[in-house]
Order: sequence, then structure tokens, then C-alpha cells
Amino acid sequence: MTAWIVIALAGLGSYLFRISMVLLVERVRLPDQVERASAFVAPAAFMALATSGLAASAAGADITQAIPLVAAVAVAIITVRHTGRPYLAVVVGMPTLWLLTWAVGAS
Amino acid sequence: METAYASATQPSRDPMVPLFAAGARAMVPWLAGVVPFGLVIGVSVARADIPAAAGWLTGPAIYSGSAQIATIEMLDDGAAPAVIVATALIINLRLVLYSGAIAACWRGTPRWWQITASYLLVDPSFVVGMDGYQRHNRRDLGHRYYLGGAIVLWFAWLTALAVGVTLGAQLPSELRLELVIPLYLVGEVVGRLDDRATRRAAGTASVVAVLALTAPLQLGILLAIITGLGAALTVREVPR
Repeated sequence: MTAWIVIALAGLGSYLFRISMVLLVERVRLPDQVERASAFVAPAAFMALATSGLAASAAGADITQAIPLVAAVAVAIITVRHTGRPYLAVVVGMPTLWLLTWAVGAS
Repeated sequence: METAYASATQPSRDPMVPLFAAGARAMVPWLAGVVPFGLVIGVSVARADIPAAAGWLTGPAIYSGSAQIATIEMLDDGAAPAVIVATALIINLRLVLYSGAIAACWRGTPRWWQITASYLLVDPSFVVGMDGYQRHNRRDLGHRYYLGGAIVLWFAWLTALAVGVTLGAQLPSELRLELVIPLYLVGEVVGRLDDRATRRAAGTASVVAVLALTAPLQLGILLAIITGLGAALTVREVPR
């Protein structure tokens, strides 16, 4: 019974977090700084999630796993900067990772 | 009569339908990383000393992978209920930021929309949704785009959890699919580093995320986001 209650409470709290600002924005006007800051939530959150994911993966890796990872990220960044197409980061990055992982492992 | 027959048999020309599909398609890259993640959580539920149905319920109830993992692991370890709930909520604090960022797009919408759309708000749906609102001038078009991506994600997530719980399947770890999402996010941000404040937000968040990698309760991500926002606000606005 405890597990069900814990999950229900965690779910309820999470939902309140999700809807909190959506409801508040109807009743209170957010300070200008908060409004301005909200424009940067996406890039800050995206990079925080991306970097922590990549760093966590690299942290537990030896050099043969780290090199392909770093190279894949570099190739992805260069490709997106040159083409302006964000999805190419995955389309180019993952095959680069697989190819270099195979090459480093075979050498 | 002919006209009525023709209109009844022809496919819908509702311009909203392609937008729903476009949002769903935009979610596809996320699924490559999210589905294995859901499978892993499902497997952890199958191995934990909690009812399988309760473990699966973390999906529709909490609907956030990191907080779900923490809840399942701590329930399995017999942690105090209050500590488990507090931990899950701390991990999910970032949802308040997402809520604040997307609130402007949902201002003035019907209450049923706010209740439903908020329930579906999580990292991937936030990313895809914000992208949709930035691409389309009309908010109703952005709503369809958001909903398309969010619903696909919701079904995929709950299905992956169910499959993981039921089969306890092993992931092909050689593919390293967990890196699809970080690469996707890098691509999204790199393509938008147009102004100094955005670059500062992204750069600072990256550095702090690495430095706070071992922070407890996954507070590192929240800390990185807040620090990134603070750094962006230090850039003086250029008068237009």
C-alpha cells in the first residue's frame, strides 16, 4: 500500500509543478526578468541535459570509448553549424560514433 | 448530392492535421533514446521488490524517467516514504521552469487544454513543443504540433515501460542509443546560438552540468539551468 501512496504523491506533486506556472501566469504577471529569463530556459536546459548525458557517458569510459564520443560530438557540431540543420547532429553523429568505436576497437 | 458525397469521401484538408503529424515526426529522434530508457526502467521494476503494476504506474503518474527511477530504487531499498516523495519532487523541480517557459504560449487557452497539455509536459515534449511554437506564428498551430509530439511520446513511454516490465528485455548496449538524445540536443542548441545571451546561457549551463555531475539527487541539471539563466541575464539587452 505504501508504494501506491508514494507513487501517487510523487505524481501529484510532479503534476502541480507542471501546471503551476501555467495557472499562475493567468493571475499574476511575472516580473520582466523572469519573462526574459524564460526565453533562455530552452538553450540552458538543452545544454544541461546534453552535457550531463555526454559527460556521464564519458566519465565511465576508457580512452577507446571516449575518443569516438568526443569525435562524434565534434562532427555533429561542425555539421549543424555548416548546414543549419539540427537533425543532422544525430544523423551524422551516431554513425560517426559507431564507425570510430569499431575502428578503435579493431586497431 | 454529388458535392455532399465528394466532401464525405475526400480526405480531410484540415491544415491542422499535418501539423499534428509534424509534431509526431519531430518526436521520432527522441524515441530512439527514450524507448530504451523506458525499457530499462521497466526491467528495473520487474526486478524490484514492489508490485509490477505499481512500478508501471510511475509512468502515467510521475511521467519523468529520472524521478521514476529514483522512486522505484528507493521503494526497493525501503526508504522512508517522505524521503522518496521529496527526492522525486526535487528531481522534477525543472518542470516548474518548463512550465514557466511554455506558459506564455498557453495563456488564454481553455482550462481543459491547460490541464491536459500540462500533464504531457516533460523534457522531450517541452523541446519539441517550444520548437513548434517558435516555428509557427499562430499559437493554435503550435498547439497541434505540441500535442502530436507529446501524445506519441506518452504512448511510446508507457508501452516501453510495459514491455520492459513484462519481458525484462535486454538492450543492445553496443548501439549506445543513450547518446541519441544528447546529440539531438546539441544540434538543437548549436543551430540557435545567434545572440550573446543565448550563447552565455548554453555555455554556462554546460560547464555547470559537468561540474555538478556528481551532485546528489540529480540536482546538477537544475543547478545548471538556473546558473545558465542567471548568466544570460547578465547580458545587457540591446535597445531596438
